[in-house]
Amino acid sequence: MKKSLLTLLLGAAVLAGCDPDKETGPSVPGSPGVYVLSEGQFGKGDGTVSAYGINSKALLTDAFGTINKEAALGDVVQDMGIAGAQGYICVNGSGKVEVVSVPDFRSVATIRRIPQPRYFAATSATRGYVTAWRGPYTNYLPGKVMVLNLSTNTVIDSITVGRCPEQLTVANGLLYVPNSYDNTVSVIDPATNKVTSTVTVAAGPQTVVADQGGNLWALCSPPYGTTGTPTLVRFAPASTAAQLSLPFATGSPAKLRIGPDKTQLYYSYNGAEYRMSTTATALPITPFIRRDFNGFAIDSRDNSIYGAVSTGYTTNGYFLHYPAGGGKAIDSVTVKVGPNGFVFY
Amino acid sequence: MALLASPAAHAQTTQPRPDTLTTRAHRLPEARVRAVRPERFAVGSQRVELDSAVLAQYRGGTAADVLGSRLGLYIKNYGPGQLATISLRGTSSQHTAVLWNGLNIALPTLGQNDLALLPISGNTQLAVQAGPAAALYGSGAVGGAILLRTEPDWRPGLRGSVQADAGSFGLRGGSLEARTASPTLAVRVAASYRQAQNDYPYYLRLPTGLARYTMQNAALRHQWSFSPDLAWRLGAAGELTAAAWLTDADREIQQGTSIAGSNAREIDQSRRLVLGYRRATTGGGQWAVRGAWFEDIINYSDQGAISNSRVRTTQGQAEYTAPLGQRASLRVGAEAQHFAALVDGYGREPITENRAAAFALLRYDPRPGLRLSANLRQAALPAGLAPLTPTVGLEWDVRQPAVFDSLAASLTLKASAARTYRAPTLNERYWRPGGNPDLLAEAGHGFEVGLRHRVGLARQLLLESELTAFTQLVDNWVQWLPLGLNGAYSPRNLRQVRSQGLEASTALRLRQGRYQAAARLAYGLTQTRKTQGVAVDTDPVGIQLAYVPLHRVNLTTDHQWRGWLASAAYTFTSFVYTDASGSDFLPSGGLLGATLGRTVALPGRTTSLTLLVQSTNLLNRTYDSYPARPAPPRAYSVSLRFNYH
Repeated sequence: MKKSLLTLLLGAAVLAGCDPDKETGPSVPGSPGVYVLSEGQFGKGDGTVSAYGINSKALLTDAFGTINKEAALGDVVQDMGIAGAQGYICVNGSGKVEVVSVPDFRSVATIRRIPQPRYFAATSATRGYVTAWRGPYTNYLPGKVMVLNLSTNTVIDSITVGRCPEQLTVANGLLYVPNSYDNTVSVIDPATNKVTSTVTVAAGPQTVVADQGGNLWALCSPPYGTTGTPTLVRFAPASTAAQLSLPFATGSPAKLRIGPDKTQLYYSYNGAEYRMSTTATALPITPFIRRDFNGFAIDSRDNSIYGAVSTGYTTNGYFLHYPAGGGKAIDSVTVKVGPNGFVFY
Repeated sequence: MALLASPAAHAQTTQPRPDTLTTRAHRLPEARVRAVRPERFAVGSQRVELDSAVLAQYRGGTAADVLGSRLGLYIKNYGPGQLATISLRGTSSQHTAVLWNGLNIALPTLGQNDLALLPISGNTQLAVQAGPAAALYGSGAVGGAILLRTEPDWRPGLRGSVQADAGSFGLRGGSLEARTASPTLAVRVAASYRQAQNDYPYYLRLPTGLARYTMQNAALRHQWSFSPDLAWRLGAAGELTAAAWLTDADREIQQGTSIAGSNAREIDQSRRLVLGYRRATTGGGQWAVRGAWFEDIINYSDQGAISNSRVRTTQGQAEYTAPLGQRASLRVGAEAQHFAALVDGYGREPITENRAAAFALLRYDPRPGLRLSANLRQAALPAGLAPLTPTVGLEWDVRQPAVFDSLAASLTLKASAARTYRAPTLNERYWRPGGNPDLLAEAGHGFEVGLRHRVGLARQLLLESELTAFTQLVDNWVQWLPLGLNGAYSPRNLRQVRSQGLEASTALRLRQGRYQAAARLAYGLTQTRKTQGVAVDTDPVGIQLAYVPLHRVNLTTDHQWRGWLASAAYTFTSFVYTDASGSDFLPSGGLLGATLGRTVALPGRTTSLTLLVQSTNLLNRTYDSYPARPAPPRAYSVSLRFNYH
């Protein structure tokens, strides 16, 4: 007791009035690198994108703030995509898309007034699309796909789709938009910016990816607060109905990804990451990596694997770097609260 | 009430005086049935009380304003008029019990109080007792208890005052108070109103540089408080008391500066009624019964998303206090509470819950200069018995001055040890999804030792100092984690948190002719860390908890001369972490507030006028009171009060 009191007093004397140093780095580590997205704590405006040099192993924790006069990136960093030499960051709670130059992360523009932006996809270096939700929880309105001119960084059009449009993909010259509060995928022709068809999948499609054969896969998980069977659905490009439906027994599968060669699907399910061939006709039973990833990506340059681990919304998370094909993690790097995705540069 | 002009008023924080009970026979205070306060059984505890003169300065404000700036307690505040919660001795907002006239007024849904919803005008007394004290105050008195009270004023005649306030950023307000008493009946009515636009400027760093904004959606649209109370002496031995406190606030909810498109708004209404009867027995004892009915409403909406809740609490208390010989008194009692909640988050059906508790409190003064107390409470909760919570306390006057030597020093050694608990809240038990009906009560225990020193430095100068060291542990600390069905967040008894520290204060009081002055310097060192957890609870062990500053310094000073009043309060808070990793933080800094007042007697000597000019953030510090919630810059208010006495 006496000793701890002394330690307490000494600690007090040392700490009196001194604030901790803020972590800063000089610049974005050189290429090859990976941007790691961290959502941050809701309401605090502390979402970040960290930049990690794959060879140097240098980390710039808050790339946007450090490079741009300590400006806060915003609330809930949801997604980032790269088109040409610019990065587009969907900042969900702040209702904006921040545009930065890549790789140095200098601010180029801020595109505001996008309601609840979710995911970004580009069809060219000058044309981008952002999914946006409308309406409050349980009373959602049909969502929008905002059409961006990436030269002027402005919204030039918007397309009404289903409720809560999520992670869209560009394939076969078309945009596929999963409507996560419905059971549909909206197909948009970027030439006209019109919905040309609507595919019925299963309840709650969250992500669509395209495989080597041009088929589309949608991972469906019933929306929060509803019941239903989570299902992985495959459909053909010109079809409006499912070609193959693979139901899950329980749980909430999420975060469907496709490998660089577009022959392997990845998703997280029941606290583990699973891998499945695009030619398989049944769900895999054995996990690929027994970790609960909140974000997952494969670097097409060396096929090494990145998994983001979120440790709740009060503590900093981290990411793990695995060699190609999985196995033992090579690296573990701490980033900010709620890491959820990777973008390579 | 010419509080400022009254020579009897001490505009300062008073430390509890060494009890003088031991110098005379140990009987209850009066043949009249004056209440025996629970504090009598809180021997050895740290307690500060704000007197009516200080409260009068904050008449337009709330408990959040007073506790933060006057006592330097750490208030986690989301903005002016917004949610404000307290952290006492490093514990969370659910670990401070708030009692009004002896009844716990924590929201049963959340198990905590928004101090910004407790206008000062509704009460005549405010005290804070630090440290675990469930035996006295029941569930939630883990870090301590805030005690609000309306005390009858038996001085005969009519007194009253009316006040109007106006200030920066659209602050408008007013209050009135009237009291009267006959030999058998004392009545008081107080009411207050406040509104504020809170459209103050703030700055944000953008990639293009610093940009100026005006705060949006942060208005206090209205805040009412109405609190009538009466005390009625029935015969020589009985007294009936009745009190009501109605509060109603309509607030826009200020979001973080980077949140887009929110227009959140919240209506908070509380209706509290209590009826009590006390009766002295011929043997010198006293029994008391109380019945109370509360209704708490919170209606929240944001962009069409609505969350409404209404809880009705019915409760009863009965207690008997008896002298045990010449040197001791014993209180035994029981209480029961019934909650009926209609909350959107619990589903369509109303939820009901019952709780009960029994307690015994003993005060024993074996010889002059030595005071002891031993208390015990056992609560029964729906999920089983709460931990048994005993308390023992000691105060020993190591040095006691002779009765007539006003300059001699007195030194008192004090110590206490207590166990405490916090009952699971209705949200923790019934929220869908995730509510956990099997949740156990949090349990805690703590020890404190200290010294109280009092010395007259000169005939008119009194110095009182107090030093307390404490250590306390909360076990089964509840944490919401994604462990429920389908990953829903669900509360679990997971953590152990240790808090230890020092509290030092020294107060100087001077009275020289018509000049009165007081100054108080207080320092608090609070180290609070999670000491044990489980793997699934990812908050690290051994790091200072978020929103618990390690150091706090508070300096207040008050001066009165003739009709003038000058008062200032400075609070320094060291940095606070804003996450559990100990990486993000709000920087350290000081805040200064000041009041200047002048009271002028009006012809006839029964009325007077008081003008008060007040400023908050006088140093114009730019800071966030919570991450992404910029606090207002320097602000002023002017109050004009008409007193009748």
